Parts: sequence; structure tokens; C-alpha cells
Amino acid sequence: MAATLAITRVEGRLFARDPIALFFGLVFPGLLLVMLGQFFPGFTDPSPDLGGASYLEVYAPIVLALGVATLGLVTLPPILGGYRQLGILRRLRTTPVHPWRLLSAQLIVHLTVAVVAGAIAVVAAVVLFGIALPELPLWFALSYLLAAASMFSIGLLIGSVARTSVSAQAIGMGIYFPMLFLAGTWVPRTIMSDTLRTVSDFTPLGAAVQALEDSWFGVTPSAGTLGVMAIWTLVVSLLAVRMFRWQ
Amino acid sequence: MSIIEVEGLVKAYGGRNVVDGITFSVEEGEIFGIVGPNGAGKTTTVESIIGLRTPDAGRIDVLGLNPIEDRFELTEQVGAQLQESRLQDKIRVDEVMDMYASFYREPQDWRTLLERLGLQDKVGARYKDLSGGQKQKLSVALAMVGSPRIAILDELTTGLDPQARRSTWNTIEQIRDGGVTVVLVTHFMEEAERLCDRIMVIDHGCVAAQGTTAELIEHVGGDQLLRFRPSVPVDDAVLEQIPEVDSVERQGSSVVVTGHGNVVHAVTSLLARERIIAYDFRVDQTGLEDAYLEITADAGYEADISEREAS
Repeated sequence: MAATLAITRVEGRLFARDPIALFFGLVFPGLLLVMLGQFFPGFTDPSPDLGGASYLEVYAPIVLALGVATLGLVTLPPILGGYRQLGILRRLRTTPVHPWRLLSAQLIVHLTVAVVAGAIAVVAAVVLFGIALPELPLWFALSYLLAAASMFSIGLLIGSVARTSVSAQAIGMGIYFPMLFLAGTWVPRTIMSDTLRTVSDFTPLGAAVQALEDSWFGVTPSAGTLGVMAIWTLVVSLLAVRMFRWQ
Repeated sequence: MSIIEVEGLVKAYGGRNVVDGITFSVEEGEIFGIVGPNGAGKTTTVESIIGLRTPDAGRIDVLGLNPIEDRFELTEQVGAQLQESRLQDKIRVDEVMDMYASFYREPQDWRTLLERLGLQDKVGARYKDLSGGQKQKLSVALAMVGSPRIAILDELTTGLDPQARRSTWNTIEQIRDGGVTVVLVTHFMEEAERLCDRIMVIDHGCVAAQGTTAELIEHVGGDQLLRFRPSVPVDDAVLEQIPEVDSVERQGSSVVVTGHGNVVHAVTSLLARERIIAYDFRVDQTGLEDAYLEITADAGYEADISEREAS
């Protein structure tokens, strides 16, 4: 336990020393939301296209989902790939501490950053643009954590097999952009075609956006959306454990 | 009682035996050297000792432990510095020392450890800002922080400049003087000769020779070459009648004598009896490097190829 704490402390500091990870992981979701609300005319007004909701209200859950996807698919994989490339995992294997502790520490650090980044974004939207706080905070928190877990497990799987930091980054990006598209980052889910929306329903990030939106506006998230995220998390984590390579 | 016993170790990669029946033992408190051409199986051998690789055949006993089954207990007692292993660029020396110290039951005080290694001024430095020699010393410090009984050092001085290398040698001697048994994998014969109590030469995955420096030199014959300019002419026949002398040659006014055993004493005694002064007297002895090259002579080229295949 002392070892896990010690590793988590160091990994946390290393994360804080990486300005790019810090910006995109911690600040970017909040900043993006503020910029959307501030600089796009009419973004905070109710829109008939969106059934009376404002664009900002629709985008807030999407931005939160984007935030955890960035941490899981962009920040996490190159760290693990780099640790394998540099022999850090192999070196750790010669000590009494199992390298899984390093991975747990990594997940703890990313989860902490995700929670803080999410809080910043929600507070910014609520304070600056007068959106109501999530109406079902516990369901909202659960949805957010499941969204993070599903993204981090995919990041862990990439990090489990990529030999280098660069290859991990490439694979991560290759999944990141289609995932964002299906989550409705560019075309909101409400105006997607039925087929596309069905595909989106079965991706973890598409499910995340629905669950976050529902719980924010007082609807209990469906078992389907939570189930999709849970199943992705479970299957992909098991796969990551099975395929993990030390060197 | 041997602290490490390896018997008939075999490890194959892609159908080829990289290690092919290696047997040796390391005694407590010694510096044991493992030398050999690239791809000879040195790293595979030491990585098997610390349980990073599972042998295909053979028996390994380290402090009475099996490296695979008792890997966890072994890691408490054996500190390892691995070849080509780096740390995070932005990690600070004190952070990584503190973290590694937390891994062990009986950690050493790492500040004292860094002081002994001459790294005390680098406590707040980031890994990427350390010189090559400092990085290697930090790597040794990490291997030693758990108070191990055995230290495995794999090509510790490869890539270091001569000053850093010599300073690292002192570090290794300090470790041994602290009662820790050292297994040293190296490319440099000068290093092995200076540090190691016993040396094992591995070639093609087999033990080509094993023993002290003197024994290895004797193993290849150990010729000695004497060169001097006599104050008065000496008859070749007089020198040739000495049993230790193998041949006598002339190079201008110099005499070159090749011999074995105690040939230096035999020749100088004869010159003294004949009241001949030997000017510019020089002795060239077969060193470990010559012995090593001879032991691994026929294999050098092939070993290079097989390493390329393996990598």
C-alpha cells in the first residue's frame, strides 16, 4: 500500500510536469465549454432544432465525454508505451513491487484529473451561463465515472501492447477521432441519421453522452447506456490484462 | 557454500539455443565476471538468475531460492541493474530513490547511499539532466537501495567515458567491500581484470573458460615476450639453453626472447651471472584481453551474425 501511494505521488507529479497533458487533460474541457458559450452567438439560447434545449446544454455532456476520451486515449497510452520502451516496466519487475501497481497508480492519477477537469467544466457552465446543476448528481457521477473507466480501459489496452510511446500515440489517435465523431462532437446525436445513432449507442462514448445528458436534466440514465459502458470496461480491461507485455 | 548455482541452463529463442548448457557457481563476497562476444548469452544468463526469463532446461539456485517460483522473495535479496533500462525524463533523483526505497522490507538510507556514490549534489536533479555516468550511478543506487545480498550489474560501464568508467569501478569495489556479492557482465577486459575475482567466458551460449585472470591466461598458454639491448653481445645458444625460453630473435641490436613460466627470472639471472647489463628491458605479458581473444577466436564472426538475427 505504501508503495502504491509512493508511485501514485510520483506519477501525479510527472503528470503535472507535462504541460500538454495538463492543458488537454485538466483545463481543456472547461475552456472549450466557456469558448462555445462565449463566442458562438445564440449558443446559450433555446433552439427549436434541439427540442427547445440550448446548444450549450447539448454540448456540455459531449465536452465532458471528450475530456475523459482525451485522458484515456491521448494521454494514457503514450505514457505506458513509453514505460515499456524505456525498460521502466522491466526494471520494476526486478523489485518486490508488481508493475501492476504502476498501472493502478496511473489510473488513479488519470481518474483524479478527470474528476477535477469535470468539476471545472460543470462549474464553469453553471456559473457563467446559468445552466442548472446536474439534477441527478449521483447518477451523473456514476455515468461520468463509467465513461472514464471505459475510456481508460481502452487506453490501458493500447498501452498494454504498444511497444513505443509513438506507436501508442498513433493507435490512440486512430480510436480517439472516430469515437468523438460517434459521440456527437461535430454532429450532435439528435440530428444524426437513425443508423448512425444506433452505431453511436453501442460505442462507450456515445452511451456516455446519453447517460450524462439524461442525468443532468433529471432523467435516470437507461440500463442500456450504463450497461454499454460497463461491458466495454469489463471486456477491454480483461483483454488488456491478458495481452499485457512487460517488454 | 555457493550463493548462486547454475546447472545446465538452456534458453532457446526461435528454435536456437541462445544459452546452451551453462554451468557455474558464484561464491559469497566475490565479484564474478561474465564476459563474451555480443549475442553470446550473457544477458539471457543473468536475466534468468533474477527470474526475468524462464529457462527451458537446467537448474538455478540463488540463496536457496528458485528464481521463478520464489521470484518475490528473490527480488528482496537481489538488486539488479539492467542493460538499456532508463527512467522517466522528468523524474527527480530524490523522487525515484524515495519511491524505490518504499518497495523493500529493509531499505537503506538512500541519502547515505547517494553520498557514497558521489551523487549527493544531484538529489534535486531531473533524470534527463544527469550525465551518462551519473545515470549509471543512479541505476546502481536503485539496485542497492533494498539492501540486497547480491548485485547483478549488466554492462554498467558501456557507453561511459574513461573517467566515468574508472569512477564506476570504485563504486563496484565499494559494493563488494560492503559484503555484497557482485555479478558483473562486461565488454571490457581491463574492467574484468581489475575487478573480478573470477571470470567466466561465454561463447555461443556455452562456457568457453572459467577461472581467475591468471588461470585464464594460463589456459591459453600465456606466452611472455622479453626485449632488451645487451651491453655486450650474447650468443643465442646461451639463451636457448634456458628451459623456460622457447625462441630467441634479433631485431637490430635488440634481443627478443619468447618464453613461458618464470622466464623473466631465468633470463635476468643468466644475464647477471654473465655480468651483462640489459638496456631498455621490457616484458610483454599475455593479458586477459589476449587470452579472451584467443578463447573466443574462432567464434567472433559467427557470433556477430547470430546477434543480428536475435535482435
